[in-house]
Amino acid sequence: MGQFLPALPEIVLAVCSLALLIAGAFGGEKSTRSISYLALFALIVVAVLVLRQPDATTVVAFNGLFKSDAFGRIFKILILIGSGLSILLSMDWLEREKIARPEYPVLVLLATLGMLAMVSANDLLSLYVGLELQSLSLYVLAAFQRDTVKSSEAGLKYFVLGALSSGLLLWGTSLVYGFSGTTQFDRLAAVFATGPASVGVIIGLVFVAAGIAFKVSAVPFHMWTPDVYEGAPTPVTALFAMAPKVAAMGLFVRVLVGPFGHLLLEWRQIILFASVASMLLGSFAAIAQKNVKRLMAYSSIANVGYALLGLASGGLAGVQGVIIYMAIYVFMTAGSFGVILAMRRNGAAAENLDDLAGLGRSRPGLAIAMLIFMFALAGIPPLAGFWGKYYVFIAAIHAGDIAQAADANLLYAAAVIGVLTSAVAAFYYLRIVKIMYFDEPAPALDASPGRAVEAVVLVSVLVMLVVGALPTTLIDASIRAAKTLLTV
Amino acid sequence: MAELLDLFWAIPTGLRLTLEIVLTVLALLGCFAYVTYAERKVLGAIQLRQGPIMVGPFGLLQPIADGVKLLSKETIIPAGANRVLFVLAPMVMLTLALIAWAVIPFDAGAVFANINVGVLYLFAVSSLGVYGVIMAGWSSNSKYAFLGAMRSAAQMVSYEVSMGLVIVTQLLIVGSLNLTEIVEHRSPVWLWILQLPMLVIFFISALAETNRAPFDLPEGESELVGGFNTEYSSMTFALFFIAEYLNMILMSAITTVLFLGGYLPPFGLMIAPLTWIPGILWFALKVAFLLFVFIWVRGTVPRYRYDQLMRLGWKIFLPFSLIWVLVIAGTLMATGMLPVRS
Amino acid sequence: MYEAIAFYGFSAILLLAAVLVIVSRNPVHSVLWLILAFFNAAGLFVLLGAEFVAMILVIVYVGAVAVLFLFVVMMLDVDLSELRAGFAQYLPLGVLIGVVLLVELIFFVISGWTLGPALKSAIVAAAPDAAQVSNTRAIGRLLYTDYVFVFQGAGMVLLVAMIGAIVLTLRQRPGVRKQNIAAQVSRQRGDTVTLHKVETGAGA
Repeated sequence: MGQFLPALPEIVLAVCSLALLIAGAFGGEKSTRSISYLALFALIVVAVLVLRQPDATTVVAFNGLFKSDAFGRIFKILILIGSGLSILLSMDWLEREKIARPEYPVLVLLATLGMLAMVSANDLLSLYVGLELQSLSLYVLAAFQRDTVKSSEAGLKYFVLGALSSGLLLWGTSLVYGFSGTTQFDRLAAVFATGPASVGVIIGLVFVAAGIAFKVSAVPFHMWTPDVYEGAPTPVTALFAMAPKVAAMGLFVRVLVGPFGHLLLEWRQIILFASVASMLLGSFAAIAQKNVKRLMAYSSIANVGYALLGLASGGLAGVQGVIIYMAIYVFMTAGSFGVILAMRRNGAAAENLDDLAGLGRSRPGLAIAMLIFMFALAGIPPLAGFWGKYYVFIAAIHAGDIAQAADANLLYAAAVIGVLTSAVAAFYYLRIVKIMYFDEPAPALDASPGRAVEAVVLVSVLVMLVVGALPTTLIDASIRAAKTLLTV
Repeated sequence: MAELLDLFWAIPTGLRLTLEIVLTVLALLGCFAYVTYAERKVLGAIQLRQGPIMVGPFGLLQPIADGVKLLSKETIIPAGANRVLFVLAPMVMLTLALIAWAVIPFDAGAVFANINVGVLYLFAVSSLGVYGVIMAGWSSNSKYAFLGAMRSAAQMVSYEVSMGLVIVTQLLIVGSLNLTEIVEHRSPVWLWILQLPMLVIFFISALAETNRAPFDLPEGESELVGGFNTEYSSMTFALFFIAEYLNMILMSAITTVLFLGGYLPPFGLMIAPLTWIPGILWFALKVAFLLFVFIWVRGTVPRYRYDQLMRLGWKIFLPFSLIWVLVIAGTLMATGMLPVRS
Repeated sequence: MYEAIAFYGFSAILLLAAVLVIVSRNPVHSVLWLILAFFNAAGLFVLLGAEFVAMILVIVYVGAVAVLFLFVVMMLDVDLSELRAGFAQYLPLGVLIGVVLLVELIFFVISGWTLGPALKSAIVAAAPDAAQVSNTRAIGRLLYTDYVFVFQGAGMVLLVAMIGAIVLTLRQRPGVRKQNIAAQVSRQRGDTVTLHKVETGAGA
């Protein structure tokens, strides 16, 4: 039995989701709220179990398929926070839209299970299974509001494109396996350490990277993002923007830095291209958006670009940058979506930017929270968002210092582009602030979006302020996590 | 007699095997004929009638008269039918009903192909039976036949699931997929009692698998005229008829082999007077008993409605057999009786 | 000798059936050809000595999956000419992509087909010695011991697929009366029937 212990959080989560599924099946639609609370409780229990695993240990279990280490644990905590917040955001919303069904929290739990398996993957097989479990649950969640055309469209679109990307990933996996003879990460790393990889492995690597890039919605695999974000039910969009992004990014780092770490020079250019393209597209396309959810979609594409810049830098600083960026990004996103969920007028969602007009006067608390999130997303110093961008850019510059000439120039250029696109992005983030405070007031929004949503917004604000002022704990944890990944 | 046997063994292997197969098929066809007779007699007794009495003594020649009648009639193929599939369907049915017998051990060592995965082979062949029905229903180009085929497909697929799980429990106990090893396996009495519910589920699923009453919705003569074989006549119909009864005999044989100790004396009583009786006779007796139960059930239980049938399969048998797999596996694990071989 | 004949026989029928799956005009015929193809694939597995895989192929694909295929194809009135309408339009693009992939594949084979150093040992490890372990046991050990994590994960994926199908399609229609078997069975004579002793001449 001892060999299963490293996966205890995953096992507990799996058992909880199955138990809640049965409870929900017997309880019917009335039980949705209690199932949601129980799901939240399950996530907390799992988080405690993750935290109780000794911090310094790295254990490989299940015949080399599964790895429990500090890097995985910090991502697991972030994923669990993201999923938990999205369940909190969903509870009132589901009831108001009259689609409260107990399968919703269960599907979120199952998606979370897939994400935990992803960031703990130590084999291309477990990577794929985790990814697929996550994706399949998310396809269903995207179409959860099945009576609206938009939600169904979002689900279908996500499913078709997601299946395509899974196909790419599988093809890459099979190429890597065919040309190196193993799917296990440690053995792959050992194989690549011996000498230059064959062309087949490089091609396989490109396809694996493309598959994962789709999941983090990096350019040029971003096309699905705006439509799915807009069409999916808002709490689901919030979930999409938080947990799966963190998980896929963790997976990206683990795969590229772990088994393919010796091929850094091969994949750096790909990631740099995706990073720069994402930053540019995310920033410029967002300017033209009228819908808040679409705007957040482009914003998330740009944010992925910044995180990928950290990955492209490689090394300790790069991985650390990614971890810090994603940690802060989760809370910025949670808070923003909390505000978006509050945007309702006459019982229907009001999702246009203009609907925010006059929020500064009608709902001052909400407006201040939104102001903080927008400033944080723009990366303005006293707030947490600043540190995320800071560490990523620093990592890129440091990596440029030690890289060879061609790569160095590319890294410097990417860092400069990053700073410039941040300025562009600041424009549309600050425009929201301007709409809220200075535009002609729109008719007032509905009253309180519910306790749970308010709690999420409040927690996110606190995190923005506290981490912005005292980032040391996060930085220490991220260094520890990054070290365990790189010493292997 | 001994000289005759020596003569038989002197025949070259290939030819002898062919001869054996032909003899077995002929014996099975004979069984078929008299199972129909037995069915009419038993049903008659249940319904306080006499059954066939006119042809031959006690009506014993009735099946032969029926066969002659069916053979001498004209085969009608409907105008809109898909001719190839229409003719192919009964052939497929009969072939499948016959090839399954290749792995059934009639007696110790008396089996055509003693393969390692005998149980899976049986399961595979029995799951193919549905094709004959579907092809017949679809190619007839008739609504009744088509509806019957649809029902049959859904029904057979549904009951196969729980049937598979029942087989899994038996495999857990024996630790082999070989039918002879399953027959020879001795388990303690309490384990046998633990397996009893699985035997019941298996037998009821077998009723559904063979489309017999109370699960004979694919024929459903009260609402579907004759179900999937509405449009069939003469010899093509006869083939379906033979296949149905052969499947019944086959299912009884499978149940015997899996649960009732095959050719061994009943209840594992290996004591003197019982062991004198040859194994093949025990096998025949057990199969005959199960066939009687088949007919008995037909005479007493009314036909299920379609939704009741599905409910029974998916909501009762499937969860129960799933739990029972856990129970059996757990018990074996706890008592250390799990057959572990390296 | 017999094995060679069986191999070529199975292979030839398999390829023929596979081609007929695509070119058949009638979708029902396509599925039936597909079943024939499955059968011959199972035959090939038997020739390889993998009788367990062969039987599972027949049970799962022929016995269950193809039945559902047939079910759907027969129930749906698929108009093939309508489906084929866009076919010619996209044919050049499809052929182009196919040719490009083929050229790339050939290019790899002749230029960079070098296998990793760990490949040889990995191949030996992947397939157990048939003389020592039966293939049923070998598959069992791989699935339930070596790769149990992935196996369970795949089970969860299938569960999610099932939940998804139910969540997205099941609708509770109001006003449908359902049979409550427990209530029917527990109904007593006393609940519904009362006997009244009526005096002679006093009845209405």
